[in-house]
Amino acid sequence: MLDVWQQLILLLEGVPLTLSISILSFLVGIAVGFPLAFIRVYEKETSFLVDAYEKIFRGIPEIVLMLLFFFGLGPYFTFPFNSAFFVAVFVLGLRSGANQSQIYRGAIYGVGNEQMIAGMSVGFSKWRSIWYIMVPQVFTFSTPGLGSEYALLIKDSAYVYVIFLAEVMTRAVQIRTSPPYDAVTPFVLAALIYIALTFPIALWLDKWGTKRKKKIGL
Amino acid sequence: MADFVMEAKHVYKTYGKSGKKASTSIDIKTKVEAVKDVSLQIRKGDIKLIFGPSGSGKSTFLRCLAMLDIPDKGEIYLGDECLTKPGVDLNKARARIGFVFQNIYLFRHLTALGNVELALRQVLKLPKEEARKRALDALKEVKVTDCVSKYPAQLSGGQAQRVGIARALSRNPDIILLDEPTSALDPELTGEVIDTLRDLANEGTTMLIVSHEMPFAREVAEEMIFYDEGTIIETGPPSQFFNAPNTDRARKFMTRIINRTTREY
Repeated sequence: MLDVWQQLILLLEGVPLTLSISILSFLVGIAVGFPLAFIRVYEKETSFLVDAYEKIFRGIPEIVLMLLFFFGLGPYFTFPFNSAFFVAVFVLGLRSGANQSQIYRGAIYGVGNEQMIAGMSVGFSKWRSIWYIMVPQVFTFSTPGLGSEYALLIKDSAYVYVIFLAEVMTRAVQIRTSPPYDAVTPFVLAALIYIALTFPIALWLDKWGTKRKKKIGL
Repeated sequence: MADFVMEAKHVYKTYGKSGKKASTSIDIKTKVEAVKDVSLQIRKGDIKLIFGPSGSGKSTFLRCLAMLDIPDKGEIYLGDECLTKPGVDLNKARARIGFVFQNIYLFRHLTALGNVELALRQVLKLPKEEARKRALDALKEVKVTDCVSKYPAQLSGGQAQRVGIARALSRNPDIILLDEPTSALDPELTGEVIDTLRDLANEGTTMLIVSHEMPFAREVAEEMIFYDEGTIIETGPPSQFFNAPNTDRARKFMTRIINRTTREY
């Protein structure tokens, strides 16, 4: 029998894993989403591929993808698909890439094509103009959306209990399924931990973005 | 060595499509002939001024010269190089052309200095110190020295446009194209920018300016070009336009613009 404090400590020990899954997925999402958004806007010929990618990853529940990759493909592949951590970051990262691509796309239109034209007028090629002029502004423009995307990843990292990674949710489920089968305390504690993880970062991103936007007059 | 710094030969540019929309079967005509058979030559040190009614295609023509819009037909030469031939490195060509926009379009995430420095560092690949020095020189030339570390949003319209001019001239371009550089500014700020342009003119900078600042035109332009409905209607020295334009349309336009100017000031 664990008391509340023991349960809390057990759950908190899962926080590093929850954070590393969500942060890594977020970074994968940036790496995937940024190029996709620019391809979607500036490479009309291939934009249908991006569209298909977004529709697929936004349309399938991540829990389905995780189960498919881990149990369905895991046994037939060796590393990395037999690693639950890899599958978690892979699925959440690619899904986040699809979401972030849409966030950045809106931001690209918000920043405006005039900035691209101005970049090309000083001698930059299309892609260098994107890199030096659009990317920094698009990132600033996207901060509110990115804040909620990050919160979404923290929350969705809870799904990985289906592939047995010992993060916060998995630990809560473990407490629930061992005597005395307390179904309230572990989940309330988990809820509080998730709130504490999502709220400050989303708030900070939003604040930073607002300040920076004000500075550059977006 | 080519005779001209920049030359346009029979340039055409049409926007939009005309045709039927299948679902409604209503004829939609959105076709705009912004540039129709326009030719123009600019020698080194020339200052030419294009003027004409709004929506007549002046800006589009200027963008075509810098290949920011690709012409449908015709040839554009920058010195000896034909920019409209396929396979030409347009980025290299654009680096030799300065462009000043009506709505300024400074890079909003960079300071005034950063705006000027960026292309010097990343396009001309100058070393850091040299790029900084040249950027500061250009900003000094347009008399923006007290706010080099401010962001565009913190600059006044006149300061911002002068930074825009500094950005264009810092690369020592063969020619500077200016698209109504003062039309988004109030009269006082217009004065600041006009002073800057006058300085550039006195230094022999090659410029093609779209503008309706008639006193300025009279003072610095060697040639004025009246542009209407996508084509050049009349060209001549300022005296011709101010005294007796040859064409009816130019005469009407000049009357209107001179009346307006006297009313405003």
